[in-house]
Amino acid sequence: MEPLPRLGYGLGLRPAYYEEILSSRPAVDWFEIISENYMIPGGRPLAMLERFRSDYPIVMHGVSMSIASVDPLDMDYLAALKRLVERVEPAWVSDHLAWTGVHGVNLHDLLPIPLTFEALDHVVDRISRVQDFLGRRILIENASTYVAFAQSQLTEWEFLDEMTRRADCLLLLDVNNVFVSSFNHGFSAEDYIDAVPRERVAQIHMAGHTDKGSYRIDTHDQPVCEPVWKLFERARKRFGPVAAMIERDDNFPPFSELLAELQRMREIDAAICESQEQTAA
Amino acid sequence: MRLAELQAAFQSAVLSGAGKDPTVLASLTKPGARDRATGFGVYVKAYRLRVAEYLEEDYPALKSFLGDKRFEKLVLDYVAANPSRTRNARYFSARLPDFMQESDEWRGEARAQGVAQMERALTDAFDAADGESCPLETLAAYAPQDWPRLVFAFHPSLRLISLPAGVVELYEALSSEGAAPRPEPRDGEEAAAVWRSGFDPAYRALGRDEFLALNEALAGKSFGVICQLVAFQQDEASAPERLAQFLVNWFSEGLVVALGECDDEESPPAP
Repeated sequence: MEPLPRLGYGLGLRPAYYEEILSSRPAVDWFEIISENYMIPGGRPLAMLERFRSDYPIVMHGVSMSIASVDPLDMDYLAALKRLVERVEPAWVSDHLAWTGVHGVNLHDLLPIPLTFEALDHVVDRISRVQDFLGRRILIENASTYVAFAQSQLTEWEFLDEMTRRADCLLLLDVNNVFVSSFNHGFSAEDYIDAVPRERVAQIHMAGHTDKGSYRIDTHDQPVCEPVWKLFERARKRFGPVAAMIERDDNFPPFSELLAELQRMREIDAAICESQEQTAA
Repeated sequence: MRLAELQAAFQSAVLSGAGKDPTVLASLTKPGARDRATGFGVYVKAYRLRVAEYLEEDYPALKSFLGDKRFEKLVLDYVAANPSRTRNARYFSARLPDFMQESDEWRGEARAQGVAQMERALTDAFDAADGESCPLETLAAYAPQDWPRLVFAFHPSLRLISLPAGVVELYEALSSEGAAPRPEPRDGEEAAAVWRSGFDPAYRALGRDEFLALNEALAGKSFGVICQLVAFQQDEASAPERLAQFLVNWFSEGLVVALGECDDEESPPAP
């Protein structure tokens, strides 16, 4: 399996920070874009993206491939995605293990699937066809979920293991989503991290969420919380320094706060590296 | 339940707001102390909040005009009649002006529908295809006696819209956050041009003669033909000077992206 480039520490590229990034050229190793935000004819977003991509590596992250939907694959969407891939030349392309609608409708949400062998066969087939169409392997992200289905036959990590192996795709592991889903469904987040297929994880997402008491929602509008940082450390020990980034989509703080979160990632990795060197010595 | 049945039931319940849909709830595990409806309710509520947010972002002046309660009612009506069929959330709100025109309840709100048309056109202009505007010097390279043979191509973002009279002024008042008074309703119609200037959407009201001239120019008619049409339909005596000024404005505002000459003023080629 050919490894993807080790990009380092990145951020989600959001219009709220365009000017700051252009003026300060911050020490961010790479940026991730929401693919759909640039699947438009022209104007400022695409012009800004052209400027950023000359200075930073870019990866593309989609939210509406609807890989688990029973609707036919939307070839118009995939063709537009492919055109953007050709324009942006991203380091890689990702989307979610989710569906967004059926019967031609789109609910603009990452909807949950039953973890059954039927769903597994369906998803594997569709990932394979998307990869054939795009001519590249894609990364699939674990989504936060708020319901679990009685008919599920696999744990989520078993599903991901089978899916990545059979479709020969890669994983975008969202550590915050692991934490949110583990809280909502009562499984061990640590077991999940320890069981995900190590060689398939090519990128890590970190983000904040909202604590609603009896459940948690993946809102990307808060700083990363301490239990998720702890889980990140566990993930880094297992998966190594694959590309990691912070997602922030609302309640935007000063850019310096996001840079501080990236710095914390670097420090966690440095401490792990130091500890491993001492152990080896 | 097969995957297809499950997704159909799940979507149907989200669309209808049935947070306690028995088919969906029966398919779920019971997570600890919570009931099944709590988790499913996250999806049901999120759908409504999300689509309402898309509409609020794209139609702030309309929301200001209708007030929060009326706008919320419009959102509910629109969302109920128009489940999103686009992969890109950016385009979900695009049908709102058409929906208002088609709806028995909203058709009578002509000024509101006009404001919606303005905002839709401005949103579309923001990310319309790019075009390199011709500077005024491009026109200056032609002697005025050659202008009748000129044909034009316009910036891809340019749209001409017909509105109830006073809507452009109303939109400006609504966008000024109270700094400008709202004009009283008046009879008749007006027109506006909406386009993108640099990275920013731009607009201005058009007089009847300029609306006619710009429409014909967009259809590929030569400037000479446009002059004849406008002179025929409008005030013949003042037409030449006004039309020359229109032409200068179109260039100075960046509306024109290509200029060509046709041999025959009556049947021009595309530039």
